[in-house]
Amino acid sequence: MGGSELLQFVISGLKNGSIYALVSLGFTIVYASTGVINFAQGEFYMLGGMFSVWAFATFGLPLWLAAIVGILLTAATGILFELLAIRPRKDGDQLSLIIITIGGSLLLSSLARHLFGPDELAIPAFTSGPSVRVFGAAIERQTLWIWGLTITAVVILNWVYNKTKLGRALRACAINRDAARLVGVDTRLIVTVSFALAAALGGLAGLSVAPLTQTAFDAGARVGVKGFAAAILGGLGNPIAAVAGGLMLGLIESMSIAYLSSTYKDAISLLVLLLVLFVRPQGLFSRSRREKV
Amino acid sequence: MSLLEVRDVTRRFGGLTAVDGVSFDVHEGSIKAIIGPNGAGKSTLFNVLTGFDRPDEGSVSFQGRELTGERPHKVVLRGVARTFQNTQLFEEMTALENVLVGRHARTRTGFIAAALRLPGTGTEEKLAREEAARLLRLLGLESWTDSPAADMPHGLRRLLEIARALATGPTLMLLDEPAAGLNHAETATLAEALYRIRDAGVTLVVVEHDMGLVMEISDEIVVLDQGRKIAEGPPRLIQKDPEVLRAYLGQEDEDE
Amino acid sequence: MRRGVLKFAPLAIGSLVVACMPLLVDDRYLLKVLSFVAINVVIVTGLALLFGYAGQISLGHAAFYGIGAYASGYATTTLGLPWIVGLIAAILLSALGGVLLALPSLRLKGHYLAMATLGFGEIMRIAFVEAQPITGGPDGLGSIPYPSIGSFEMSAPVGTYLLAWGAAGLTLLLATNIVRQRPGRAMRALHGSELGAMACGIDIVGLKVRVFTVSAVLAGVAGSLYAHLVGFVSPSTFSLHFSVILIAMAVLGGSGSLAGPFVATALLTLLPFADAIIPGLSRDALALIQDWEADVYGLIIILVMLFAPGGVAGMLRRRRRGAGVRP
Repeated sequence: MGGSELLQFVISGLKNGSIYALVSLGFTIVYASTGVINFAQGEFYMLGGMFSVWAFATFGLPLWLAAIVGILLTAATGILFELLAIRPRKDGDQLSLIIITIGGSLLLSSLARHLFGPDELAIPAFTSGPSVRVFGAAIERQTLWIWGLTITAVVILNWVYNKTKLGRALRACAINRDAARLVGVDTRLIVTVSFALAAALGGLAGLSVAPLTQTAFDAGARVGVKGFAAAILGGLGNPIAAVAGGLMLGLIESMSIAYLSSTYKDAISLLVLLLVLFVRPQGLFSRSRREKV
Repeated sequence: MSLLEVRDVTRRFGGLTAVDGVSFDVHEGSIKAIIGPNGAGKSTLFNVLTGFDRPDEGSVSFQGRELTGERPHKVVLRGVARTFQNTQLFEEMTALENVLVGRHARTRTGFIAAALRLPGTGTEEKLAREEAARLLRLLGLESWTDSPAADMPHGLRRLLEIARALATGPTLMLLDEPAAGLNHAETATLAEALYRIRDAGVTLVVVEHDMGLVMEISDEIVVLDQGRKIAEGPPRLIQKDPEVLRAYLGQEDEDE
Repeated sequence: MRRGVLKFAPLAIGSLVVACMPLLVDDRYLLKVLSFVAINVVIVTGLALLFGYAGQISLGHAAFYGIGAYASGYATTTLGLPWIVGLIAAILLSALGGVLLALPSLRLKGHYLAMATLGFGEIMRIAFVEAQPITGGPDGLGSIPYPSIGSFEMSAPVGTYLLAWGAAGLTLLLATNIVRQRPGRAMRALHGSELGAMACGIDIVGLKVRVFTVSAVLAGVAGSLYAHLVGFVSPSTFSLHFSVILIAMAVLGGSGSLAGPFVATALLTLLPFADAIIPGLSRDALALIQDWEADVYGLIIILVMLFAPGGVAGMLRRRRRGAGVRP
């Protein structure tokens, strides 16, 4: 395989990897505030694309506005889901919350089918024009958008986490919820905020990739599993590791297409998921912790 | 003869040494108490003794055979039972069922035998129920037989956990703060029950904060402070030990 | 004594009605739908043991269902082996899959276990599509014969109906025996407190592996029954969607019970086939139900977890308590 061909695969891997990174961040944020994996995270990805298509095609909004509307509506869905389905379960029993998010995933995707229909939909690329050529490899303009938006999202998130009061509260909850409550953090609000953030990030991922791969009501589960695999690969609970895990998973997939066959692309990421779960469930970048009785 | 031998057991969590080179023996048929201020390493030591945790150094042997590193259910099979500081009852199961689960280690019916009701399963079930009922009577819980554990008052829940531990047929039983949260009358009942259990041939190790109970029931006391053993001996001597007074009993006096 | 008789009366009447159904009705469609109920009862009973008793979750049961279906289908079509060999193959392969998945993943807790089983399910679905020589790929595997022993063939709808309900009845009987004795108590103990269970001498990993394998085998048996009843299997049947529907049945059924999940399975299985049990249901009404079926399942999962965590079993228990059978 030539250098430029390999580069092409790396580019494609980093493109998908950015998407996984955004979804994976959503998992991490909700996990940090609730201790629960949100099985509906993939649906936020699906909704981001769907709402944008809807705003663009049905209401004729300009593309940039449709994208913003898409993110806001997805975040609103995340808030609504938390308020209606997570918050009423006051005891926070983990198994119950997991099952609720599984039900939520099914409900959101089938509601989306009623709203947007069963067909695959797409929006045009954010900027039109030919691909950019770098060392013999082609980068689609939308890929540049995906990278730019991912980096922007990570930078903003990093700023929120490290420089704002909200970020301090989010971090406090992640370390110890009860202690955070004792020092006056409104933990219920934090859970809602984390669902909103997770949904917004998922939505951003979904709409920024919608011009390249069409989107449909049932697109969420597949990307959800990959985002989770990325989160696990990095180690749950650490945002930087989640991004690294996402990019790594994208590259692994891309390389498996390059050297094996595209047939096994999905299977490879699932195998990575199982392998990490079985061998190193704390992720590649965290040190192991022994549970105390 | 020494039933349990603890030799130089050390357990660290990160930079903190929770248990630091502790050694002592437990003699058959005795009641031994382990006392010490909060954070002295008592619960960690308990977890090491019962297979719920592993020591970083040192060893534990039971009836002359190594116990260190055995998984918890194997430790139970060897004849070492325990209770927990925060009771770990099966809340939705009745008192009788809780004790029946304790019989798990001494019964054999597996999935296939149970599914097909193979010969012997009925008898085993019947014997287990009789034994469980006997243990409930031993601890005065027979009137709660069919109540879910969640519905029982706190003091009786501790007794139920002891009954469940007894059901595993132990030679040695480790009780983690059995009197915590009990009132005077309940504590008296507990002391009574502990004597009966000892007289039935079960050796006891008790971690306890209630000094009155400890001084009354125990044959020997081990005192831990910051993970180290600072004294060991019969209650009369421990009460006079200057180091113990400094580390522990002084505090206790302030409380009272 | 009288109370004992009363307790078994509904069970006896129920069994009699189920057994005589083919004599009472002559409706192929209804019998087929009721056979689906029986098949789902087999698989959800396994899930009730795993989820409702032992407190472990699986999002991969559609895969074991598929393994059973393909094993049976492949053995009886391509290899031309008798039905009973297909069934045994289904049992062995689903057991093998169950053990292989359970051994590493049951050390994991809650959400990790859910994701591991989900990942396994998705890998198997890809395998069903890609292993074309065995599974027929996306087009599926057809012409699977009716179950037969020697020259005696159990054809649809009556033969397969009786076979499916026979399997469901046997499953319920064996599962009842399990939950009422030592293994059942150990499972509930595990659900109640893992630390407490360990202190009672229960090998919790070993127990989880056993329960998981039993439930995987029941899913495999159900898959085999399905393959021979329908005569055709394709990968789309064994999706994550189906695993979630099974979860919905187990959740609605409630924990610590076999009767609850049984009722829930019957209700949710009949939902999309409402026209079979409600004569004169208009085609539009049926289409509406089928269109909203997935939403209903999703909503049921959420509502039960929020407002009625006991599910159907909780309601049955309350009623029984109200009637004074339990102190």
